[in-house]
Amino acid sequence: MQAMEYDKKQTAAWITPPMLIAFAVFATLPLWIETVGLYEYLAVEVLIWVIFAMGFNLLLGYGGLPSFGHGAFFGIGAYAFGLAQFNVWANLWFCLAAAIFVTAVIGGIAALFLSHRRGIYFALMTIAVGQIFYFIASKWTTVTGGEDGMLNIKRLPVDFGLVEFSIKSNVGLYYLTFGLFVVVTLLLWRLTNSPYGRVLRAMKQNETRVAFIGYSPRLYKWSVFTLSCAIAGLAGGLFAMAQEGAYINIMSLQWSGTIVLIVLIGGGFVSFWGPLLGVIFYFVSRDVLGAYTDTWLLWFGLIFMGLVMFKPDGLAGIWRDYIGGRKAKSEQSGNPATVASGR
Amino acid sequence: MLYDLIPHIINGLALGLLFALLALGFMLIIGVMEVINLAHGSLFALGAYIALVVMTPDGGLPFAFMQPYYDLPVIPRYIIALIVGPIVVGVVGMGLEICLRRTYGKDPLYGLLLTFGAAMVLEEGIREIWGSSEYALPIPRGISGGFIAGDLIYSNYRIYAAIFSAAMIGVLWVFLNKTPYGAVIKAGAHDSEMVRALGYNLKRLRLYVFAFGAALAAIAGIIMAPIWGIRPVVGVDAVVPAFVVIVLGGVGSFWGSVSAGILVGLVVGLTAAFLTDWSLLSMYLLLLAVVTFRARGLAGKASVLEA
Repeated sequence: MQAMEYDKKQTAAWITPPMLIAFAVFATLPLWIETVGLYEYLAVEVLIWVIFAMGFNLLLGYGGLPSFGHGAFFGIGAYAFGLAQFNVWANLWFCLAAAIFVTAVIGGIAALFLSHRRGIYFALMTIAVGQIFYFIASKWTTVTGGEDGMLNIKRLPVDFGLVEFSIKSNVGLYYLTFGLFVVVTLLLWRLTNSPYGRVLRAMKQNETRVAFIGYSPRLYKWSVFTLSCAIAGLAGGLFAMAQEGAYINIMSLQWSGTIVLIVLIGGGFVSFWGPLLGVIFYFVSRDVLGAYTDTWLLWFGLIFMGLVMFKPDGLAGIWRDYIGGRKAKSEQSGNPATVASGR
Repeated sequence: MLYDLIPHIINGLALGLLFALLALGFMLIIGVMEVINLAHGSLFALGAYIALVVMTPDGGLPFAFMQPYYDLPVIPRYIIALIVGPIVVGVVGMGLEICLRRTYGKDPLYGLLLTFGAAMVLEEGIREIWGSSEYALPIPRGISGGFIAGDLIYSNYRIYAAIFSAAMIGVLWVFLNKTPYGAVIKAGAHDSEMVRALGYNLKRLRLYVFAFGAALAAIAGIIMAPIWGIRPVVGVDAVVPAFVVIVLGGVGSFWGSVSAGILVGLVVGLTAAFLTDWSLLSMYLLLLAVVTFRARGLAGKASVLEA
């Protein structure tokens, strides 16, 4: 486990240089994404998945709890957003809040069954939970639309009381997502650098000792699972607007596994920014490899296997080793605060 | 009422014994390698595709010189498929084990992720070679069709599948408990470092056990093929019940897995009798119910997986 660690120091800073770089890159992304040969909708997709992946990494990377059923909560968020829009009040803030709340409640109930599991048993139980929600969503056609999906979800205008913005265009939706991304990033950054985050990391190393010190691992596992479900719900709600519908496929076991893969490929175990790198890598390679071959997943799978075998710390780990190699003598390597600046 | 359920019970039993056969190979790999093999379902699917190649020209061996072979009666081709399939898949399993070596001694999550990647590669590879369409595996006439007893129709194939799987499980039990090879495998599952300390070649043991587990998956895949059909996604359909059986039965328990397999098969089979759409859901609910009250399943002991 020696290689698989975040920086030991915690910081009181709200804003760090890598964060500024990430914000600057994403704030200007719609201006230059088409010049590099990609398209605006991809930017929306990437940013939504970044929100989801960063929330998921709270559970996987910081808590050391591999959930193989998280796609289900993303999907629940999307359906909740649609249902709130159709049946209650078609207001953006209300619907997003509903998506977060419903997902957090369902995730919280599921977490009651999971919070006393350890290691691989935890992973297996999350598979079961994820599959249960998948089956319910695919069979309860009157509510979810089943295999056809929930159609005609609208991109609701961003309502600030006096002013109102339309997000019908991809750029509009992108900036809404970007605003939420900034909020979520700041919250997660502070949370992972708080005493709560410290207990989470300690729990990943040795749960029994954490219990001996007097913290309740069960409570921490339950709360971190619920929290990451809430963030998944937010991302799901945004995704429902992006796709203008909610579909069952994102709740499947394959997708739930893929998100674990994305986070790990980016280096979620060693860096706060790992999930972000992973999402960019996944979507860009989907589009680039996908342009050349129909079976891009085959190649992506091979790349992934190679990474797990030779560079298990992922992209962020490669960057850290590179930096570490350059200034090995001058100072301690592996500061995640420096990791993402190489994007 | 109970009488009407007999065909469903037989179907459930056939399904359950096949799940158990699949799960036992899965468990051997967990025991000796301490790896959750997420690619197990893909190896299962690959077994069925190899059988397809061996048995019919649809499988993608359209060489003219093969034609006399495909003119053979179904039974010898079926038997050859049951031998060749496990061997080929066993070799693929060996390749996977060699890749896995780099993850030994690290967090078990890495093994899990590597096999997840392998499952993706195998499934996409199958799609690339054989396409996404569904194939049917021809079966000898003696075990196809059905018969009517009373007012009920029984499928011959399901009865054959149940008997075949039960026999395979029996052979496996004898192999593990009555032969010196079985003793080493069981010792390896108990404490692999100690086995090495006693002078056995652990590297080779792991290679062979992985191949053996993969071969069992291939056999289960070939037997299941006429029931489920042969599609690329069949791997996911198979790996999940294997998990459920292992967790339900308890890791490390032979009869725990067999009884859990039968239990899962029966629950799925009987739910299918009343609510076809929900039959797979019942499996997960069963798992959740049992594991909530018995954390290590029906007969499990403390294992590496809780670390």
